[in-house]
Amino acid sequence: MNSLANRFSTTGPINELRRAKSVLEDDEFTDSAWGSEAGFGSLAKGVPNFTVPSVPDPSAFLRLHTDDYADPSCRIKIQHGTTTLAFRFQGGVIVAVDSRATAGSYVASGTVKKVIEINPYLLGTMAGGAADCQYWETYLGIHCRLHELRNHERISVSAASKYLSNLVYSYKGMGLSMGTMICGWDKTGPAVFYVDSDGTRLKGDIFSVGSGSTFAYGVLDQGYRWDLTDEEAQELGRRSIYAAGHRDAFSGNTCNLYHVKEDGWKFIGNYDISKLHYDGPGETPGAGYGYDVRVERSAAIAVQA
Amino acid sequence: MSRSYDRALTVFSPDGHLFQVEYALEAVRKGTCAVGVRGKDVVVLGVEKKSVLQLQDPRTVRKVAMLDDHVCLAFAGLTADGRVLIDKARIECQSHRLTVEDPVTVEYITRFIAGTQQRYTQSGGVRPFGTSTLIVGFDPNDTKPHLYMTEPSGIYSAWKANAIGRSSKTVREFLEKNHKDDLTREESIKLAVKSLLEVVQTGAKNIEISVMESYGKITNLDLPQIEAIVSEIEKEKEAEAERKRSRLAATAAGQASMTSRVTEGGSGEPSGQ
Amino acid sequence: METSFAITGKDYIIVAADTTAARSIVKMKTDDDKIKVVSPHLLMSYSGEPGDTIQFSEFVERNLRLFHIRNNYSLRPSAAASWIRRSLAQSLRSRKPYSVNLMLSGYDVTTDTPHLFWIDYLGTMTEVPFGAHGYGSYFALSLLDRYHNPEATLEEGIETLKRCIDEVAKRLIVSPGKYIVKVVDKDGTRVIEI
Repeated sequence: MNSLANRFSTTGPINELRRAKSVLEDDEFTDSAWGSEAGFGSLAKGVPNFTVPSVPDPSAFLRLHTDDYADPSCRIKIQHGTTTLAFRFQGGVIVAVDSRATAGSYVASGTVKKVIEINPYLLGTMAGGAADCQYWETYLGIHCRLHELRNHERISVSAASKYLSNLVYSYKGMGLSMGTMICGWDKTGPAVFYVDSDGTRLKGDIFSVGSGSTFAYGVLDQGYRWDLTDEEAQELGRRSIYAAGHRDAFSGNTCNLYHVKEDGWKFIGNYDISKLHYDGPGETPGAGYGYDVRVERSAAIAVQA
Repeated sequence: MSRSYDRALTVFSPDGHLFQVEYALEAVRKGTCAVGVRGKDVVVLGVEKKSVLQLQDPRTVRKVAMLDDHVCLAFAGLTADGRVLIDKARIECQSHRLTVEDPVTVEYITRFIAGTQQRYTQSGGVRPFGTSTLIVGFDPNDTKPHLYMTEPSGIYSAWKANAIGRSSKTVREFLEKNHKDDLTREESIKLAVKSLLEVVQTGAKNIEISVMESYGKITNLDLPQIEAIVSEIEKEKEAEAERKRSRLAATAAGQASMTSRVTEGGSGEPSGQ
Repeated sequence: METSFAITGKDYIIVAADTTAARSIVKMKTDDDKIKVVSPHLLMSYSGEPGDTIQFSEFVERNLRLFHIRNNYSLRPSAAASWIRRSLAQSLRSRKPYSVNLMLSGYDVTTDTPHLFWIDYLGTMTEVPFGAHGYGSYFALSLLDRYHNPEATLEEGIETLKRCIDEVAKRLIVSPGKYIVKVVDKDGTRVIEI
């Protein structure tokens, strides 16, 4: 009789204990208790939860329907192909990206924003799954702001990148595809971190990610010095993206250039890669980066001399 | 029936009190005293040690605990509750390093501890922690010392100097009277010891002092060092008392001579001393 | 191609690991430190699946640190190795195992002896006088069978390590460029230049 009463009563020590346990395990109130979730319906606590296909291996299932390389007629074509780069130098961080999105052999868009403005001091780049990068880096932005509000100071680049890396690591093997650079300026100065969906996180001076990264590295590594001036550094970023846009079929259209300094990032400009080829970034016709243009120019100079 | 308001923790009394939380504060007031003093670039924790029994190992009774390389905590109140709180905090320190790479800031871990304490005042079937804590330390990449206090209710606050536990009110008043900004290392230690001596009658052997000078640099003073400081303080006190006595004697003598002068004056010539 | 070596000597262990972090054909980083100092007299070199390596090694590092803070002393090398092996074995039987290969090199200050443990992602653990992981092990193990001397001084140990590195550089098709070398002995751990 007593045990029955215990089972159905809502007060009493056993229930109270049970309730206590659930409350203590529940770290905080869900954010939904505070109103809007801004589309991030799963922000509640810790790592958000998604519904995954109820098959033994969700990522194999995803691959089956998205791998356009193995099966050109697959039903979902994820946007791939990119060149992004970021490097650290004396004057801050340069971030440069192309703007082409391809789905299979089809250029889906030529005006993609591949730099994600996390907050006025942090930039993230986008390579791999466009949706994955966009979603998770926006999500990262929310948490950077929460960190700021809770700790009365801006999150360090290292902490922000670690947060993202832990997040994507918890989804490892589920089909996320991201290769991103988290760039910014904090108490320690300029910083660049490479984070990818394997869970790799590397601190470094120069990174380039995407199908065109090898081409970008070729120009970037050769022209890089720590003591570049701001103008030289911007030019180097632009030129490297141009190089990749020119050689890599999956990169191109335009180049977006950002410069992070002590007081936050600044958008430097958007440059048409074809125009860079013939005329360069300025308004002088014939001052282009292209091989033919460059060789003709030096030939012309040689003739004049 | 007013008695029922302190049965279930999560029930307010009609005048807005959570009796269990107030009783927890009472448990803190029964605990041994702990003092924190923040100097210019140093922060000192001093605690009153209970006398151990003859056959007890004194090393197993500790009221000051490192939470991480750069944060230190002292508590007053129920020792067992304090131990649990310390362990939760230590795990959080390592967990924080694991998730954001950086070590915790002093405020962060204070907030965590206070948050834990608060949670135990807002759920059924549990009782609050019977401990107040003093948390000291340095933030990573910073030279400013920090001192925080938390209470069973989950309140936390920053201080220049503060005391918790037995007779904390007396000690706090003493600190209020004697604390100056920008104390040096020696002055801070001395102030901590001095304030503890207000409540610790048995002197050096029942005092424990930890000094944190910069990020990760902490030293515990050993008994001879504390004894030296105590005897210095006692000497000063004696000198002060001596001065007072002599001043008193001087005034007494002065008054005596005055009165005698008056009597002498009454009799005729002033004395030519 | 990830490679790591560890060699015990008279009263020390030398650990070397390559410093490249690669993704497909690109070296993303050439100064990556893959030897973690997990407690004052304990080094852990790790290699394997990217992501897992960092996550697991940091997990180990933080737990050993927590042990130290809680108990005021560090785990001895054999105890730490057992704990790490067990963590790996438990993870192997979970939904998502860590694929990490490790070498744990520690100096036991209570007995004044160096200990080297070779651990792989399956939870195999064995105490060895020298060990290697990765492609380099195919060249170095026979070499060390021939040249390793458990009584060698630090200088002689370094010479033996150089033999391993040179051999790998000579014969392995994509040999790692630079190595980071750390030593653990009675004074703790330190990085040395070779």
